Parts: sequence; structure tokens; C-alpha cells
Amino acid sequence: MMDMAQAEQIFIEEAQDLLQVMETCLLDIEGGDATPADHIAAIFRAAHTIKGSAGLFGFNTVVGFTHSVESVLDKVRDNKLQMDAVLVGLLLDCQQHMAQMIAALSDPGQVVNAAQGTFLLEQLGTYLQAPKDPTPAPVTVPPAAADAWRIDVAYGLDVFRDGMDPVSQLSYLSTIGTLEEVGLQYQFPADFDPESCYLHLQLQLKTSAGKQKIEDVFEFIQESSQVQIQPPLTVVEQLEHTPLQPEKLGQLLVDAGAVTPRELEQVLELQKQQTHSSVGELLVQQGAVPTAVVEAAVNRQAHQEHKRASDFQVLKVEARKLDHLIKLIGEMVTAGSANEVLISQTNNEQLQEAFSSITHLIEQIRDGALSLRMVQIGESFSRLKRIVRDVSRELGKDVELDVVGAETELDKSMVEKLSDPLMHIVRNALDHGIEPVDIRTYRGKPAQGRLKLAAYHEAGAVVIEIQDDGAGLDASRIRAKAEEKGLISSEQALSQEDIYRLIFEPGFSTAAQVTNLSGRGVGMDVVKRNIEELRGQILIDSELGKGTRFRIRLPLTLAIIDGFEVTVGDTHLVLPVNMIQECLEFEHAELVEDRNYLNLRGDVLPFVRLRQLFQLPQPPASRENIVVVQYGRSRAGLVVDTLNGELQAVIKPLAPIFRSTHGISGSTILGSGDVGFILDIPQLIEYACSTESAR
Amino acid sequence: MNHTDLEVNRQQYLTFLLRDECFGISIDTVREIIEYGQLTTVPLMPDFVKGVINLRGDIVPVIDLSIRLGRNALELKNRTCIIILEIPFEGQRVVIGAAVDSVNEVLEIGKEQVEPPPSFGARLKAQFIQGVVNVEQSFVVLLHGDKVLSIEELASLIENVKPEKGRGENV
Repeated sequence: MMDMAQAEQIFIEEAQDLLQVMETCLLDIEGGDATPADHIAAIFRAAHTIKGSAGLFGFNTVVGFTHSVESVLDKVRDNKLQMDAVLVGLLLDCQQHMAQMIAALSDPGQVVNAAQGTFLLEQLGTYLQAPKDPTPAPVTVPPAAADAWRIDVAYGLDVFRDGMDPVSQLSYLSTIGTLEEVGLQYQFPADFDPESCYLHLQLQLKTSAGKQKIEDVFEFIQESSQVQIQPPLTVVEQLEHTPLQPEKLGQLLVDAGAVTPRELEQVLELQKQQTHSSVGELLVQQGAVPTAVVEAAVNRQAHQEHKRASDFQVLKVEARKLDHLIKLIGEMVTAGSANEVLISQTNNEQLQEAFSSITHLIEQIRDGALSLRMVQIGESFSRLKRIVRDVSRELGKDVELDVVGAETELDKSMVEKLSDPLMHIVRNALDHGIEPVDIRTYRGKPAQGRLKLAAYHEAGAVVIEIQDDGAGLDASRIRAKAEEKGLISSEQALSQEDIYRLIFEPGFSTAAQVTNLSGRGVGMDVVKRNIEELRGQILIDSELGKGTRFRIRLPLTLAIIDGFEVTVGDTHLVLPVNMIQECLEFEHAELVEDRNYLNLRGDVLPFVRLRQLFQLPQPPASRENIVVVQYGRSRAGLVVDTLNGELQAVIKPLAPIFRSTHGISGSTILGSGDVGFILDIPQLIEYACSTESAR
Repeated sequence: MNHTDLEVNRQQYLTFLLRDECFGISIDTVREIIEYGQLTTVPLMPDFVKGVINLRGDIVPVIDLSIRLGRNALELKNRTCIIILEIPFEGQRVVIGAAVDSVNEVLEIGKEQVEPPPSFGARLKAQFIQGVVNVEQSFVVLLHGDKVLSIEELASLIENVKPEKGRGENV
């Protein structure tokens, strides 16, 4: 028996997912990206499921409210109501109210605006009453035969001779159901033979038994006679309840009890000859099922296709299980490389070849397992869509949101931690960045502001950009403000970028007017801290009057990376392979005395001697190499002793006592069993810069 | 009854040597003892961090317990070994190694035998010492494992070590 609290938690999570679906769909409709017809089924289903599950837990307020929403949606679904912009807006408000109610179930701190709820219910009520139907929708009285099986048996001439007795079949049928009607047809030929059977029966049977059971009654006369058993039209209902699996039409009908496996087999056999006919057509032709049932099944099938797409979104696996799997795969990768080292020493080519296919598989399994943790960033972006919509309305600004790269994948845990910082930046952009319409027109800008959200991969990192075409950052104002707040002194020389970075200082806010959205001086410092907790960086570009762009760079993180191993003295270091541009031999002769840069085919390449930077005791090797790494838009060289080649590195976080390190982001166990350190290149270069400027 | 009394009042301690001094640590925190070796130095770490070892797939930091207790660094001998301990930290048990000159034995010590730490003279921070016990005419200082190897304290010690800047000598 599942713990009630646990079940409740699952309900809450599920409801939140469904609300998310509702929101996304509604926003798509509002934004013109989809028609109501595309999404109404999904929206309805979401509301319906929430209502149903909430009912199980006795959350009556949720049930009551959602019921009204569902009723309106039902009307839309039945084309009795037009989903116009006003209704979409109302439904979005309802969605938000439902989200509040759901959140309040687990978080007592969440306030539910009851007045808002009442107001929304009234609004919904107007839709429900509008074309007030005095009578409930007429219940279509099914024709008498609708719930009865139609059985048509044209007995073969030899039935009596084979020892079969139609009467006993009839009496057996009446034990498994009620024979509603027995129609008799017979035609005696001129050469009447008393031992032959000329019977043709048309029966109507009401039963709960399946088709198979009915068919079994006629099992022994199948060869000699023609038996058609048509399911009642109510089998359509059965179809609705067949389990959700990707199925073929025939299988679907068998599952619903409308067709027996034997009939299906026959038809499939027939289909081999009549390849142009569909299974459905042939089944009707064979008299196995009425056309209506096949149509229903086809609909059901289409519905399943649809359903499968959304099932895909809600497949849930406990994070713990996934982490365990990934940990095991990490062990497998490590064990694999240990084996590889040993096998390469055997000079046994066959063994090496056999093992290389295992290595290949391990790589695929690794990538597959890691991708399980990856989610598209689009989900976070669509949450932002809502914020953009609501906030720009509240501020009376017209803002167009442009989303690029929503399919970019990111580790799930990162996506969760990113949502707050992204929200802050977007709110700030809308509030302080994009100007009110009159100012925009005055400045000769299009009245509609533009906010662009973009995500893409760049050299082993994920970059998220938030760009607005607003007022831009005013460096002199920021500076003045920072001086006033005592963050910097007036003599301090700061680059433009350094000045921009002041907005990340705690307690900094330039907004002259404090709105209820932002401008409270909390936010940007939290943003920076959150990003840094994810080992990311945040960069600002801005041009006064043109707009601002925030760029968030995040490592792909993850448990396992493709690495490149180098050694300096006894120390093994692993670099993310996708940050490496090239490796070359380090020529001392080419060096300018006491300068840490060299001439790389005409370009200046600054470099860092890792031996020096890490204060390693061993004397320098006679031959050194330089690894050219690219991070963001910068390049740098790292001077190392030997280059050892590529490997799959399972990242083991450093022990908690090493929470502050310089340029090392983790450790890994190499094939040899030695411990290697994984370099965090941007952090390493930053550290190198700081030691250099400290000289 | 007697048996329970025994369990409540007696505790087992692993004793070990740092130079000539004998220390004891409750075996509750001790996971295993391994030979000293296969250490990988972690760049830019203070002296008391000896490095990390690969302990059957887990990467475990090793601390020079002698330096941690304010004495000179260990001199490696063939009896030098690493005591692997589990120290509670933020609701988890963190595995950490302590390098010592040699381990002696496991002693069962009754509570009544433990004397309070001397107010001075042990050349140790008072909060590290659980008590002192006299075993065969010599004193064994019983240590609080989770204080001596407090993860939080070690982490902030490492954080506060400013790597010396401007190493002049060029390669």
C-alpha cells in the first residue's frame, strides 16, 4: 500500500506537469503557433485528469474549480464554443489559479486568492450559460440491436451428417446471454435431401461474453458453414478502454473483443492476395465487424498516436535510480579503460579487436544513459513565455518574444536551478530594459519591443542568451550609483565590462522607480551566485540605446566527459576534449624572453605553464608540449610535459574538503588506476590571470 | 544485564603512533587501515593535505595527521599507514584518510578509565581531546575523530591558504 503522503506528492507533481502542458498549449494558441483544434484535446485531458485525481484525494476546492474549467473546455471541444483570445486569456488565468491551488496543497505558505477564484468561476459561468440549453443534451436512445451481437449462421449442407445440432448451439448461446431474436430463413431446393441442413439463422444475442466465446460455439461447423458474428455497437466503448499501446488496427479490435484472432488471421491471409485493401475494409467485407466499429477503432488508433506523444513527456523515473545507473556506467567505463590498458599490452590482435567493439558499445551505453538526464531547455523557455506575457501586460508594454534553440539539451538538475536566474533576468529586461511604447516611438524604435531567448552549444558548454532591444546599460549611471553606494571609489579605473558587472553586486539597483516586479536590489546578485553554483559564467554586452545581452555559459557537466589526458611531472590532468583546438611541440627558442605568449601562425597566443601555476616540484621535462584550448571567444596555450591521448573520464566530484580549488573541477580514475584531475579551463585561466596581476 | 552494562560503559579504540606519542580514536569512525602509498598530490594544497588515493574506485583525500595536530610532517617509514575514517558532514558520511606513523592495537577501554583532558601540556587544541587513558604506564590521548578531521574546518583551512604568488624563478 502506497503511503498516502507519497501518493499525494505524486499527484501534485503530476498536476504541475499537466498544468505546464495546459499553459504551453494555451500560450501556443494565444501566440498563433497553433490552432485551438490542435490543442484542445490535450488541454481538456489535462484539466480532466487533474479533476479526477484531485477527487481521489478529496481536494474538493480543486475539483470544483477544475470542473467548471473542464466544462468550458468540453464545450470548446464539441465545437459549441469558439476559443477566442478572451477565452484563452481567461483560461490562462484559470490555469494560474489552479497552479496556486495545487501549490498550496504542499506549501502552506502559498496564498490562494479566493476572490480571484470566485471571479474566474463567474467568468466561466457566463460561457456555460450563454446558449442555455433548457434540456440536457438528448440522450440518444440506442436502437434495440445496438448492444446485441448479430450472429448470422448459414449452415452447411453437411451439418447434420457431421453430427452437429443447431438447437443445442442455440440452447448453449442462451446460457451465456439472452437470445433477443431468432430469425429463421430457409430455402428448400428441388432435390431436397432430408439429411441435409438448409437452415440459415439470424440471431441477436445480448451477452457480456467475448466474441471468442461465441465463436467457440460454432467451432465445429466453421469448416462446413458460414458464420458471421458481428459485435454490438457498444464494442466501441470497449475500444475506448483498450490499454494504451502502439497497436495495429487488427490487434486493437481483437483486444476490444470485436474480432477473434482466427478472423484476424484469415483477413491477414486474405490481405496477402488483396494488398490494396486495408485490414479494416476486409474485416467489414468478411462480415466480421460493422463499419462503425472499424471507424471507431481507426479513431482510437489515431488517438493513441496522439496520446503516445504526450505520454512521452510524462515518463517518470526516480532520479535516484537514474543516478545509480549512471554511477554504474561510470564504473564500467573505468573498468573498461583499465582492461584496455592491459589488453593493449598483450599484443593479441584478436583480443584487442574484440575489446574495441566492447569499448564502442560502452561509449554508446554511456551516451544513452547520460542523455536520460538531459532535457530540452524549451520547457524552461515556455515558463518564461508566460512571464513575458504577464509582465509585459502588467507594464503596458508590447513585447515580442523570440525563442531560438529550444531543443538544446541540458542536464535536468541544471535546468531546475536555472529557472530562477532566467526569470530574474527576463523580468529585469522587461522592466528596465525595454522602454515604454511612447519612449520607443520617440527614440525611433519599433513600438513593439523584442526579447530574444537563445540556447546553443559552444565548445563543450551550453550558452543561453537573453537579449533585449531596450535602453541598454548606462555605464555612467551605474558608476555613479556604485560610488554613491560605496561599492567603488571615484578614483577606481574600471573597464566598461567591469562597470556592467557592478549590477551583480549585492544591494545594487539603479531603477529610479521601484516597481513590484524588480528594482528591489535583490535579484542580480542572486542570479550571479546561482550561475556560479552551476560552475557557469555570466557575461554582459550592452550598447546604450540599443539593448543588452546577457550570456550565460554553463558546462555540460555531467558525469562523464570525453577527455584528453596530459601529464605534468607526476600529475595527470584531463582536459575536456572539445575545448582543445590543437597540440604542438613547445619550442623554447621561439619565445620572447620573459613573456608568456608566443606567435602561433601570426596570432598572439598567451600561455600558462601548468608546472609553474600548480607549483609542482619536479624539474621541467626536456620536451614540453603546448595544448591550445578555446573557451568562449578566447584562446590560450597550456604548457604540459606529455600528451597521452583521449579517454572517457568519469567525473568524480572532489571531496568536500576541496571545495575551493583553482582550475580543477573534479577528479577521475584513469585506466592505469592513477587519479587524474579534470581541468576547468575558464577558471584556470582566470586564476592564472589573477596570479600574474598579483606579481 | 551485565552484558549491556559492559557495552554501554566500554568502548573500543584504535591506537596509533605519531612519532613517540600514542593516540587513540574510537573505532566507530574507523572503516579500515591501508598501507601508505599510491598517493596523488593535489596541486596548490597546504602541507597537511598529502593528496588523494584511489580506494577501490573512490577518490579519498589523505591528511597528514601529524601536521594537523600541530607537529612536524610525517616521515615516511615502512610502517606508515593510512587510517580510513568516516566523518559525518552535512547529513552524510564523508570518507577521509589520516596518515599516521603506525597503528598499534584495538583497546577496549571502560569509561571509568578515561580521565578528563589535562588543561594544558598536551600541545593540542582542547576540543580535539576526548580524554586521556593510562595504558601500561604510558598515556594514550583519545581524540575526537570528527573534530580533528572536521570536514568543515579542513575545507576552510584549505580555502584560506593563499597560494604564494609571484613565484619568481622562471623555467
